[in-house]
Amino acid sequence: MTTVPHDQTRGDSTAFFRDLQPAPLSRNEVASLCTKAARGAGMSWGMAEEAGFAAAWLVSHGVDGPGYLSAHLEQADGMAWSELCPTPTPGKWRNADGRTLCPIILGATICDHADLPQGAAAGRRIEFGPVGMPILLVPFLAYLAQARGLAIALSWPGGMARIGAGGTELSAAAALLGCKTLDLTLDAEPAAPGRPSAAPIPNAHTAAETIAILNAFAMRTTVPASEASRAGAGSALGDND
Amino acid sequence: MTLIQHETSDDTARFRRPPSEVMRLARMGSFHPSRLSFLRVMLRRLRDEGWTFDRPVWEVDDKGVGHGVYRAKGPERTYSLVAFAHDLPPEMRSDRVIATAWDATFALFDGDPTAEDIARLGRNVPYQEAGRITPSELTLARANRSVRLFDHVVAALSSGRQPDAAEIEAVGYLMRTTAVYGSGKFGACDRADIAERPELSAPFQVEMLTVWLIRAFTVDIVEHIAAARGGKRAAKLDPAMRRTLGVGNSTGLGMAPFLVRHPILLNNWMIAREEALARVRAQAGSRPEAVAGLRQALGHALANAEVWHSEHPVQKRKLHDLRHDLGLISARLDDWDLGAVRPWDALWRWGDRTLTCEGQEALLSLMLEPHGDLVDDLAECMGADEAARFRLDGAMPVGKLREILENEYDWALAIDFDTPENVARFWYVSEEKLEPRLGERATEDGATLEQPLCIARLMSELYTTVRNHDAGAPVAELLLSHPEHRFSVRRAQIARDHPFAEVRDNLIAADMLPIDLLRCKLAFFGASQFDPRSDRWVRINLFAGAPFPEEIASEIEA
Repeated sequence: MTTVPHDQTRGDSTAFFRDLQPAPLSRNEVASLCTKAARGAGMSWGMAEEAGFAAAWLVSHGVDGPGYLSAHLEQADGMAWSELCPTPTPGKWRNADGRTLCPIILGATICDHADLPQGAAAGRRIEFGPVGMPILLVPFLAYLAQARGLAIALSWPGGMARIGAGGTELSAAAALLGCKTLDLTLDAEPAAPGRPSAAPIPNAHTAAETIAILNAFAMRTTVPASEASRAGAGSALGDND
Repeated sequence: MTLIQHETSDDTARFRRPPSEVMRLARMGSFHPSRLSFLRVMLRRLRDEGWTFDRPVWEVDDKGVGHGVYRAKGPERTYSLVAFAHDLPPEMRSDRVIATAWDATFALFDGDPTAEDIARLGRNVPYQEAGRITPSELTLARANRSVRLFDHVVAALSSGRQPDAAEIEAVGYLMRTTAVYGSGKFGACDRADIAERPELSAPFQVEMLTVWLIRAFTVDIVEHIAAARGGKRAAKLDPAMRRTLGVGNSTGLGMAPFLVRHPILLNNWMIAREEALARVRAQAGSRPEAVAGLRQALGHALANAEVWHSEHPVQKRKLHDLRHDLGLISARLDDWDLGAVRPWDALWRWGDRTLTCEGQEALLSLMLEPHGDLVDDLAECMGADEAARFRLDGAMPVGKLREILENEYDWALAIDFDTPENVARFWYVSEEKLEPRLGERATEDGATLEQPLCIARLMSELYTTVRNHDAGAPVAELLLSHPEHRFSVRRAQIARDHPFAEVRDNLIAADMLPIDLLRCKLAFFGASQFDPRSDRWVRINLFAGAPFPEEIASEIEA
């Protein structure tokens, strides 16, 4: 990393992260880094923003979102949209080829369909089939639960997690959903509008190795400098006047 | 509801300029600071709420190395700038690779820092990017001396003399910041966690407070070094001369995409400014004190235009326009018929017919100046909760999306992106510095990694898709078959009810000037002496002429 005079407000501060122990990142750092990493791993810019949203939401709820996202991106790297996206039909949203769904794409698409007949409304059940890194789905479902007054249950062979409007069950859900893949079914029921938990939770800690993986993905969105661009970006003069 | 609004029966809507007129680069690149600029908003609050300031810590040696704490106490909370002063050899001033390569480094602490806090900051802040801060810190910043002026001032004061006024005027600041990081960078507090505080709800208030307290530090450190050198005969800076000093800042392309990346924020800044103009224009009559205030503001503007210099050809032409237009305004005020119906509107309409963009936008700032009671409350509408509009409306029919594009993006759909000069550039992030740059598509590599900043072209591409799609289908379905448009769909849905969200120009055109984006943003900050050094980076001055902490309580106008 080199810097030159008149180096101005950087987009990213996580590239400089060197701590030996896992440390808390700000939500802005998480959202910014994870958006770029997701884009670098092949998501569209708009979907990459959803990845940034999800990771930042998890961090602010005490869960290492960047860690889960980096693991997911390593797994999904280079896969085509058709291999990752759901095909929403009433009651069934499986991938057309029976593949494992991307939790970011699935979560964003669930939110997009909230007011549509195939969507996750009260009294409906939807089978997703296998979903990768299912903890990354939680921020989207928590949003939906709060915005639409729903209690959402995710179940899989041998287990179940609840995502309420308040997000209070999150730590229990996180322990269950923080795994590589689950064969998920969603059930939505009406619920009283929830309140976000009153006590602020300290941001989750993220390890330098995780940040290095995400930075490597993010660097795929950057362009090696040319002499022409260097000359134009700032002053080539010293700063001694 | 203010007194003036009671006197005005007209709705302000018909005095508002349409986005098609305002949201053009040529106009935005002619903006001037106004009383709605963020540094003015902050200074008014500090004065009105009776904030107090002190310097509880000052441990600086004779070489000027050490640290100090500048404390700002408000009705509810305290903020402290922790300043670290370094001894930087001249050869290191142009080399930022090595840590502590700045004359001074700073963090704005949320509250009163303990000795442990200061020690922790001392292990991180001087190293800037190589260090980390915590949610107890709101900003991280650094500054370098203007060596020429700093040395001159130290030499003069240490021998008991005041510095040469011409030298002060030529530079305008003792130090310039080279970065002021906020919003969670390097582990600092997230904006969302403090946005609800009344004193921080307007945009960039922690950054403005940081720079304003840095300004006080720059004077203290120069006087400290002069006193160490000159002993008893050393002088302090004359308060009138001191007041003309600001804090310099050099800003490059890195800042340009901000306005494009924050459409709701941009919309709110612009609407506040346009509504302010409309309120002034809509007044039925004129009050003598407002007319006197306008004349006084014009006097300041004329003086400012005289000391405002630039070597850049574009800015030289604009400065010429400005000086000429200010002369025309001055002459016009002599013939201004104050008895006519809506005299402020008549003045505006005259300017609209007569002046260049430079003069028109200067007139806007001048007209707002004596109308604080009418417009200052609009500062409260300039923040934005962007997260609240993150979710898409997936149920919106594609036909409705098409309608939004045809209504809100007609300017974009009119651009022919098959013409080379209309796609001449591309925005990208450099691997080397991780910051935005602008490339030439025909001659430079990297266009496949283009950043989504040319909104016009993205909307044009979305329109092509939308036109060939079932108008009755929901947007959610369109996005399953066209995930590449998710970014643009989100944006178009925002633009539907944020008419000032978009810069209505082609940001990759061959003749696009990035400094126009910088000028707009910096005018909202309140920066003066905008001085482009190329079409991509500028030097500015912040807080020149503004009160110092111990002066603010006695200010009549802030």
